[in-house]
Amino acid sequence: MAIVTLGFAAFAADIKSRIVVEKPRQREDDDLLGRIAAGSQGALAQLIARHGRGLRIFAARYLGNASDAEDVVQDVFVTVWKNAGRFDPRRARVSTWLYKITANRCIDQRRRRFLRNFIGLDDLDCDPASEAPDAEARVSDRQELSIVRGGIAALPQRQRMALLLKVVADLDVPAIAEVMGTSTGSVEQLLVRARRGLRNHVAAHEGRERNV
Amino acid sequence: MTEDEFAQLTRRFGKDVTAWPAPYRQQALLLSAGRQDSPSDRDEALDRLVLEAALDDTDEQRLASQVLARIDADRGRTFGTRLSSFLLRPATMTACSALLFLALAAGGYQLAASEGNALDAKLLALATGSPANTGLLDLSPDDGTENAL
Repeated sequence: MAIVTLGFAAFAADIKSRIVVEKPRQREDDDLLGRIAAGSQGALAQLIARHGRGLRIFAARYLGNASDAEDVVQDVFVTVWKNAGRFDPRRARVSTWLYKITANRCIDQRRRRFLRNFIGLDDLDCDPASEAPDAEARVSDRQELSIVRGGIAALPQRQRMALLLKVVADLDVPAIAEVMGTSTGSVEQLLVRARRGLRNHVAAHEGRERNV
Repeated sequence: MTEDEFAQLTRRFGKDVTAWPAPYRQQALLLSAGRQDSPSDRDEALDRLVLEAALDDTDEQRLASQVLARIDADRGRTFGTRLSSFLLRPATMTACSALLFLALAAGGYQLAASEGNALDAKLLALATGSPANTGLLDLSPDDGTENAL
């Protein structure tokens, strides 16, 4: 009984600390969005300063194309500017909303890119965000990161999205589920598979290097 | 993240690192934890590696200026689009055509009326016996018209 009580107390403390941490971050974003809805371009610039980096890294790693990511993120903030008044802070966090718009734009962009490749408008799938491992610096640290980058690019789309939302956006499982429009159980499975796939990719590269 | 970058971000987002936006927050927490601090489980270790691999140089100021430029351009385009869509509406086009037709018709009547009035005046002058004022007959003594009559 005492163990259960202690466990519950620890759980409650953890939840409480999370709530305390989440509040100032959320309040600042909510305030910014309110000012954007009122037409403040300065507030939009501040929101970009806060979330632009995360959104751009997420889009670049998901799409595997830096210039497409740039377009997507610009488009996201233009959408925010137009629709800030519609955001309801009681329904979602600003960060979740931003990543949801970005994820949807990325999916659209990927479809467009696929169509252009299919028609033959794009000859090459330029992919500066996912360099080949041996194109990187020869320092072992950087090489390992390069292999991981290659592994991220090789993951199936939904697994990649779930992993990037977890690691780059630092969203929790329910928020990832909301962004991806799926259940929390499905997100957990995607994360497990993504990590397994990535480990296998890294292990395969390490084995290949040893053989060489 | 270097110590200098950490200091810059502290000035930008405040001292409470946990309130910073992602991915600055994770980077700062990693820095404060120190590299020698090994993560508690395998997933956490892999996530750290993924974060490090995913990070890239970004320029938020450039992004902000590009977004604001697009918003300004959109604003101008929106006005143009609204105007053109208003002008291209069937009702607007019909109304404009009707107005143009009426204007042309009224202009024609006006022109015809002014010419008709001048002719009436000349004929009236001729009928009342003062043809010299009408311009219909030139009765200057030099051209011999009087003699011919």
